[in-house]
Amino acid sequence: MIDFTLTSRQQQVKEAIHGLALSVIRPECLKWDREHGIPPEFLRTLATLAGNMGSLAMMDRDGERASAAKSEAEGAPKKKSQVNLTSIIAAEEMAWGDGGLLLCLPGPGLGGPPVRGSGTPEQKARFMGIFRDMTAGGELKWGAYALTEPGAGSDVAGIRTSCRKDGAHWVLNGRKCYITNGARASWNCVFATIDPTLGRAGHRAFVVEKGTPGFSIGRIEDKMGLRASETAELVFEDCRVPEENLLGGEERYVTKEGFMTAMKTFDNTRPLVAAMAIGIGRAAYEYARDFVKSNYALARHTARYSAIAERLARVGRQLDAARMVTWRAGWMADEEIPNAKEASTSKALAGQAAIRACIESIEICGAEGTIARDHQLLEKWFRDIKVYDIFEGTGQIQRVVISKRLFADLKSF
Amino acid sequence: MIAFEPTDDQKLMQESVASFAKTLRARSREFERDRAFPDDVRKTAHELGLGMVAVPEALGGAGLGLTTAALLEEEVAYGDPSAGFAFGGPGAFGTAVSELGNESQGKAWLAPFAGADGWSRFGAVAWGERRASAARAGMTTTATHRMGTWELTGEKAYVVNADRASNFVVFAQTQESAGWRGLGAFLVKKGTPGLRVLDRETTLGLDAVSFGGIKLDGVEVDESDRLAGGDDFNAALVRFFAKHALIVAARGVGLARAAFDVTREYCETRRAFGKPIGHFQAVAFTLADRSMDVDAARALVWRAAHSWDAKLAENHALLHTSHAIAFALEAAMRCGDDAVQLHGGAGFMRDYVVEKLMRDAKQLQLCAMTSAHADQLAASIELGRAIDPGEVLPSAESQSAFV
Repeated sequence: MIDFTLTSRQQQVKEAIHGLALSVIRPECLKWDREHGIPPEFLRTLATLAGNMGSLAMMDRDGERASAAKSEAEGAPKKKSQVNLTSIIAAEEMAWGDGGLLLCLPGPGLGGPPVRGSGTPEQKARFMGIFRDMTAGGELKWGAYALTEPGAGSDVAGIRTSCRKDGAHWVLNGRKCYITNGARASWNCVFATIDPTLGRAGHRAFVVEKGTPGFSIGRIEDKMGLRASETAELVFEDCRVPEENLLGGEERYVTKEGFMTAMKTFDNTRPLVAAMAIGIGRAAYEYARDFVKSNYALARHTARYSAIAERLARVGRQLDAARMVTWRAGWMADEEIPNAKEASTSKALAGQAAIRACIESIEICGAEGTIARDHQLLEKWFRDIKVYDIFEGTGQIQRVVISKRLFADLKSF
Repeated sequence: MIAFEPTDDQKLMQESVASFAKTLRARSREFERDRAFPDDVRKTAHELGLGMVAVPEALGGAGLGLTTAALLEEEVAYGDPSAGFAFGGPGAFGTAVSELGNESQGKAWLAPFAGADGWSRFGAVAWGERRASAARAGMTTTATHRMGTWELTGEKAYVVNADRASNFVVFAQTQESAGWRGLGAFLVKKGTPGLRVLDRETTLGLDAVSFGGIKLDGVEVDESDRLAGGDDFNAALVRFFAKHALIVAARGVGLARAAFDVTREYCETRRAFGKPIGHFQAVAFTLADRSMDVDAARALVWRAAHSWDAKLAENHALLHTSHAIAFALEAAMRCGDDAVQLHGGAGFMRDYVVEKLMRDAKQLQLCAMTSAHADQLAASIELGRAIDPGEVLPSAESQSAFV
């Protein structure tokens, strides 16, 4: 049936994160933004908290899956876990608190989906296993996803980082850039090619562990926004990766699976990024709404009131529209219905709506809105949001994805 | 639990309505030329139960709720956007009576629409007026109370199906000093002395729908035929507009999807420079944007309809509804506009349905509530202001709409 009611668990997660965002995250986030990072103690507290709450959904999708599988194995009727939808709801709330924090959260991050989706059982145990003890007080660890290069971003088929087999190792040469958590990660999921002329068929995915000989960190980027999040350059100079770190094993690459590994990641993460964008956009919208409420919506009628009210409402409904298509994309993922088009739709609409929300909110507040001393959050959201229409596929790339689903025989433009 | 899938029952209804709607698309130029739907089509619509989907069971309707109604209205409009307005049945009149009337009024005035001859009946709502009063806020049509009887005088405009309706809900000023908060609603039968139906207008789009007006010259209405609106007349009034406009928004989704589908197909077959025009980025991206419009509009309409069916707090349901109305009506217009644009010169010719859909989209945007009014409603809720009918409902003072 058509239903928009959150489950009690989703409601709980939403409320818990909202409370956290309001009382702990918002008061700290400006400092993180200034100091380009979040203190490990804070992340540690958050991880412990997540452990106590029986996983915060965002941080432990595996845990959620495992418990669903367990209850099924125990003969309980198959219960839909809605892991994607719950993550989407959690992500909006967390980003409402701070977008940067979300990207800093320990865990496999974007590296998780390819390892989970394409790794051998042995690889999954090895690379995902390191995160198990984090919520119980173990060391904080990160995973990362390294695809983009200086010469190839959206055009994934054009990557030039090379790999060649040498005995029991693969030798990697090249550079990866704009990698979230790339420097602090225990491992990076790195995409390379055996031969650029082969296009996608030549792609191989590796799990490159910290400390691998020939692997080093280049520059840490200085960004417009999301400054609490680490964005690194990775350098591979005759980097020797053990053959057992080739994701999925060699036989997997007989077909075009290599490239599909890179792309499959996005069908599940695009709605999640869309939800984060909506969270930031909503933060700005609510800020402007409250500003209008206390400054312009006076007891007497002011001539500008209606114009500003309509502008605000337009922002509100665009965010709401984006939220609905994002929920739909997440619901499809949970139902295991192919959702590439819907995932791209959510990302494209949410990125746009959230940027509009941040721009309009500053404008609605007027000159007052740009004064950093009093309205630092508004100023920060404006800087943070822009990249949400860029990373995980620009708005234009989302339209390419959608176009290919509108015209069956459209190969490329 | 969040879910985006109609029930099996709803799917069955959708399918049967969709196959009916297909026959409408094929004949839509005929309906346009005749400026009406023929009896056989209206009888089929009545047999499918299309007029009474959301009307409560207690009042003789199917009581299936707004979600089901929205699903079916989208399908009907996909065939022909005029159809939902012009099939007959209680329409906006039904929503007004259910929201503003008491149960016995609802039973008495809506039951006839459920009968075998229900297809031949129309109801109408006389809300709009051509000119605003310069002297005071509110309507120029007045209702004066005299010993258990109300006397209605004035002229109503922008009335959907005015010349077809056997029953009207007429809105008039009951308290002149109270402005837009001083309105009353009255049930009036066609043929009541003093009531004259004005000539039908010709309009930009939705040609098969009749748009007109009525003139009231001392029409007498018994106190028992006044719709009191329960405890709070203004709240009931806004609820009526919101629910009615939500149905119009569902029609907007159907129109948007029709324009999109026809255009996508055209762009796949029409070739230029050696390939289908849809394979050019400028064309494909435009279509991608419209595809997003259709999906987002539909999701918003579903959520709004579900909010009423699930009995959320009224302010939440109203907020969701205003988002759906404003977004869907604008999306329909963008889809209609781009449909003609991507057809190029051919789109301007009446050989193709898209020019009709574009005209219909603009006309639809001016039915029930405009996007601007829906935005005002959302803003009032979000800013914690009392909802003022003069601010959130269409009128000669702000922007008129056909009701």
